[in-house]
Amino acid sequence: MSNQPVLELKNLTMQFGGVKALNQVNLQVNRGEICALIGPNGAGKTTVFNVVTGVYVPTQGEILFNGKSLKGKNRHNITKMGIARTFQNVRLFGEMTSLENVLTATDVHSKSGLIGSMFTTPRSRREERAGREKAYEILEFIGIDHRADQLAKNLPYGDQRRLEIARAMGTSPEIILLDEPAAGFNPSEKKALAELIVKIRDRGYTVLLIEHDMSLIMGISDRVAVLDFGEKIADDLPSVVQNNPKVIEAYLGVPADAS
Amino acid sequence: MSINLRDSGATLWANANKWQRYLIAGAVILAVFALPLLEGTFLNTPSTPFEMVLFYPIGVYVLMALGLNVVVGKSGLLDLGYVAFYAVGAYTAGILSMHTKLNTWEILPIGIALAMLSGLVLGAAVLRLRGDYLAIVTLGFGEIIRITALNTSAVGGANGITNIPNPPTTFGLKFDLDHPRSFYWIVLILIILTILVIRGLSVRRPGRAWESIRQDEDVAELMGVNTYKYKLWAFIFGASVGGAAGVLFASKAMFIAPNIFSYNVSILILAFVVFGGMGNIWGVVVGAVLLSYIPEKIRFISDARMLIFGLVLIIMMNLRPDGLLPRKKREKIGVAGEKSK
Repeated sequence: MSNQPVLELKNLTMQFGGVKALNQVNLQVNRGEICALIGPNGAGKTTVFNVVTGVYVPTQGEILFNGKSLKGKNRHNITKMGIARTFQNVRLFGEMTSLENVLTATDVHSKSGLIGSMFTTPRSRREERAGREKAYEILEFIGIDHRADQLAKNLPYGDQRRLEIARAMGTSPEIILLDEPAAGFNPSEKKALAELIVKIRDRGYTVLLIEHDMSLIMGISDRVAVLDFGEKIADDLPSVVQNNPKVIEAYLGVPADAS
Repeated sequence: MSINLRDSGATLWANANKWQRYLIAGAVILAVFALPLLEGTFLNTPSTPFEMVLFYPIGVYVLMALGLNVVVGKSGLLDLGYVAFYAVGAYTAGILSMHTKLNTWEILPIGIALAMLSGLVLGAAVLRLRGDYLAIVTLGFGEIIRITALNTSAVGGANGITNIPNPPTTFGLKFDLDHPRSFYWIVLILIILTILVIRGLSVRRPGRAWESIRQDEDVAELMGVNTYKYKLWAFIFGASVGGAAGVLFASKAMFIAPNIFSYNVSILILAFVVFGGMGNIWGVVVGAVLLSYIPEKIRFISDARMLIFGLVLIIMMNLRPDGLLPRKKREKIGVAGEKSK
């Protein structure tokens, strides 16, 4: 595994009024790794995703993607550059079919816009066909191709979560940000998801993962970063982080005899 | 018994092969073109000849409803000032015929272009707003166009523009007061073209972009949809259709005045879209046809007319809150698996 950083957060601070959701956070995600972002509720994990994808403009600090700053970039341009995400609460386009959900994402790289589509130019037709093939292939890869023509809102919960990942993959990203993809899953579903995430990584994507399930995290992550009250308190191999006293303190509190 | 017009129609269409589809489409188009022949039957409208009603209000309003449907129904942008684009088209026809020798067919593209331009200008300014705020600003824009026309003496002020010429005789078709069906056929051609274009766009990138914006604008943006650009396109497309309707209307009526383009028209067109079923082309067409025909049919009760019209709306919205033929994607379960293999 190379140590080439795909995503770098440098001294990132995000302030909402008096609240510092992120405080001087430094984080580096290397190409081809599964990096987990953990921390207690309200630690600022989702805020990291929102800042990286351009939903919030950071108060201070910088985000580098492949060495290029994301400062001042539109959200759709950030996606086009190669950063895709899923959402903590499923936010699919419910009235569209699974295939259309993924197609909406694959469209980001097509060059034909309204005029091309209106006159059905050869390029528009070619891109439309290529998009469909790619979307089917992704649905197949994720394992929900049998749902392709069903409306997203009618899918079972687990498939909705998987479709979110498929849609993110549709944008052909370099890095995928997964926000609690296993929320609400039972143990066997979690196991299948863990395998899927590894499969996604092996396909060449870099994964940044927010998750609460420790066994899932520890099983598949190459590196674990821990946030607590907006500050990064640890960033290391899973086995090292697990025994870090600061992390234990953040999750469980200070032992009675130590105080 | 519930009549499910949309589903039976859609099933018929889905089960037809290519040639059957051409046949069905051809038969329907032919039947619609032949409608003026029903002059003098039970369809007759009391105070205006049926042939004229077919062009205005029915044809013109169907065209406008189709245009507004792209903005409101497909993209979810509540535009309460749609009449502005209609006015821009009509006034383009009026002004150009006053000062130039251009005929209607030459004016038509100019009217469409100017309507698109006004759509671009309005859209660029207001599309960063959402929901209610967008509705209020577009409402204001519609009024600004009307009041500007009212106070500009160069375009006749409150008296409007008179003596706008009818279109020239084309392909042997005469366009004048004695030949109202020619106008109907022209607007029908535009309606068919508009439907074809919208149907094409719906299944391609712009349709998906509009649909995703309507459902969740923030997620659409994060999935790489340039929401601003596609909202602007929706506005411009809607404006072009409204502009075309305006040019045609002016060339038929031969007279336009600011009070024709009041805010009521925007609301009426919006009512067609909602009544018929937002986002569904056929629902919108049926809605616009019914709601522009009924007031003409019951014109004999004059003052109580709008009362009955309102009553129809209320009853309808209680019985079918999603409109006459609501948008509902039909799922094709199982087809996907076969395709991917």
